[in-house]
Amino acid sequence: MTAEISTIHLLEVASNSGVEAELRDAIEDAQLTDWRTHWLPALRTVHEQLIKRGVPRNQWPQSSHWDWPAKVAQVEGLLAFKGFCVVCARVTQGLMRIDLNQIARESRQAGKPLVYVDYLEVAPWNRADLGQAPRYRGVGTALLAAAVVLSREEGFKGRIGLHSLPQADRFYRDSCGMSDLGPDVAYHGLRYFEMTSEQADAFLPEEDEK
Amino acid sequence: MATKRTMTLNLTDAEMETLEGLSQQKDISKTAVIRQALRLYQAIDARVQRGEKLLIENDSTKEKAELMLL
Amino acid sequence: MKLNRSKDWWLAHARREGDATIGAGALSLDAKPEPADQTSPIEAEETRIAFGRFVSLMRRRSGLTVERLAAAADLDASEILVIENGAHSTPEPRTVFRLAQTFQVSQKRLMQLAGLSAAKDSVVRQEAVRFAARSESVEKLTKEENAALETFVAILSEQDAKKA
Repeated sequence: MTAEISTIHLLEVASNSGVEAELRDAIEDAQLTDWRTHWLPALRTVHEQLIKRGVPRNQWPQSSHWDWPAKVAQVEGLLAFKGFCVVCARVTQGLMRIDLNQIARESRQAGKPLVYVDYLEVAPWNRADLGQAPRYRGVGTALLAAAVVLSREEGFKGRIGLHSLPQADRFYRDSCGMSDLGPDVAYHGLRYFEMTSEQADAFLPEEDEK
Repeated sequence: MATKRTMTLNLTDAEMETLEGLSQQKDISKTAVIRQALRLYQAIDARVQRGEKLLIENDSTKEKAELMLL
Repeated sequence: MKLNRSKDWWLAHARREGDATIGAGALSLDAKPEPADQTSPIEAEETRIAFGRFVSLMRRRSGLTVERLAAAADLDASEILVIENGAHSTPEPRTVFRLAQTFQVSQKRLMQLAGLSAAKDSVVRQEAVRFAARSESVEKLTKEENAALETFVAILSEQDAKKA
């Protein structure tokens, strides 16, 4: 089964103009190869610089340790888990794994199934918190939009949920209009956010997806 | 996503009522309920096969009971 | 699953991301645990970076591709690639053993460098940091890289005579 590809647009920061990119509804070998041969070396460079600058480890940017091949292998063959990626200029720019077995906690939709984002990560060169200007903006948005569309396709009406990396709290709350259910003690204290059906309609108004 | 195939389900009245009840409660179609059940069953079964246990905990008493899944 | 939005929609939202780093999910849950006797995560990281750099430079100095090194050392090319690219997992002891043999450096020292055993003294770690700082990842080995590599190889080949 090959991935379905949707054409999207990212903002290329250097030129401040739009570039075409792909949103794919699977994480395939090419993505894992890109992770090993592009993401890891980029992260290594960042780590070396952090070490040189003497930055204590507890201040290092989070998510540097995710092992995506392991995350994919973990759920292989399981219906409840799906992967998505963004590819631009033939290199993987972002990855996302979702879980369809979770249910909503927000009072307006408690107990109803939603698309839960297990992991979402953009490539190191797209992060503003690693000491350089990001290459592309919009990768995270694209993956989030994919989660909402999947939620609608599954009959979950656009409901999604996730635990936010601290740097992204404001984005989810203010830019995406998600409900902030506060730090989750059961999950490393990360803030848990949910998007209701109405919030999903505001974030990504429904259109004919064909 | 792949093409879909059709299956006819023969359910008892009680099963059908349960299905309808869950569908209403969860605000999803009856088909979606069945698909959720399948996903959950497969995911849990995979973990049980790996040697993990499925437990239900009583939130107030903290008592745990094991759910046996074949 | 397909989705379709206008270019304007995408760009407007991309701009709205601002400087936020978008991400979701728990941290470091699948990082392999450090060996129990490691001194600190930073030191582990420093030596692991140097280990990957060392393997890479030694390979290139010998004029070998990853595949040829894998064949010579009787290892998986993929594991060498992961090591050279600085992955955060600890390599297999057998891998380090084979690399030490192939590159003709001390087993013990390379194990320390790879994070498989704790150093009794800090020589390897200090030299590893120095080595990593002096070497750059370019196609051919520069004179500087060569010099850095030579110095480091000498350290790794030293017997523990000093401490005896």
